[in-house]
Amino acid sequence: MIDLEGLASIRTSLEADGYEIEVTDGDRVAVVISATPEACAECLVPASVMVPILEHTLKVPGDRIDLTYPTDHEASDHEASDHEE
Amino acid sequence: MGSLIMDPTGQTTRVEAEMQLAHRPPSLSGRTVGLLDNGKQNAGRFVEELGKVLAERYGVGSVVLRKKPVATVDAPSELLEELHHAAELVVIGVGDCGSCSAAAVADGIALERLGTPTAVVCTESFKATADAMAVVRGAAGYRYATVEHPMAGLPGDEVRARAEGVADEVVSLLVDAAVRRGAA
Repeated sequence: MIDLEGLASIRTSLEADGYEIEVTDGDRVAVVISATPEACAECLVPASVMVPILEHTLKVPGDRIDLTYPTDHEASDHEASDHEE
Repeated sequence: MGSLIMDPTGQTTRVEAEMQLAHRPPSLSGRTVGLLDNGKQNAGRFVEELGKVLAERYGVGSVVLRKKPVATVDAPSELLEELHHAAELVVIGVGDCGSCSAAAVADGIALERLGTPTAVVCTESFKATADAMAVVRGAAGYRYATVEHPMAGLPGDEVRARAEGVADEVVSLLVDAAVRRGAA
């Protein structure tokens, strides 16, 4: 069970920089962070730093967290475009 | 590594090692304060205004202004070493984004470990990243001052008002010998 207060806290921080967060809590904790059009690119900490931040705020072990970052989305989009061409 | 202690109720409690803060002076009177501008919009103006307030209200003797080359990552160790030698206390501002608030806290912890009392100022929206970075750097519970978000885009008079509003909190972080950051 994730800490909902912690989730609200990290959501506030991310939204202030133009990012959204979705969390699915199950056997593992899936965290998807996505950029809005107003997102500040340099304001998002690297994924390697975000995992311990999520571990602290959501109060779940880092090895249970599956993190998807905006750059992951972009990579997927590029791959899709490549296949379409 | 934490240690187990037995309290009077018979419970055991794990106590994490407390981060040792730098020695605090009894007051700011006559002291040289370093102002570290992290490069975010209005951060330089904010720390300069805060320096003026500290001089007016608390008798700070002089200030030394420095600027981080990149707001979103840790300050270069050479810059922190220079501030450690040039100033008796340091104020860092402003952590008003996720990465720069985390970096500001990391810089504050690094300066404390060098032996320089340091007060970090972040905007309220970034408590989660600031607190988490403190844990990552082995200083859970590290205390910092907060101002209303955002700082970027504010006109000069509002930046000054933010500095005036947070000055007492900054001072309490710099001189209060009872303040101890770390235990979580």
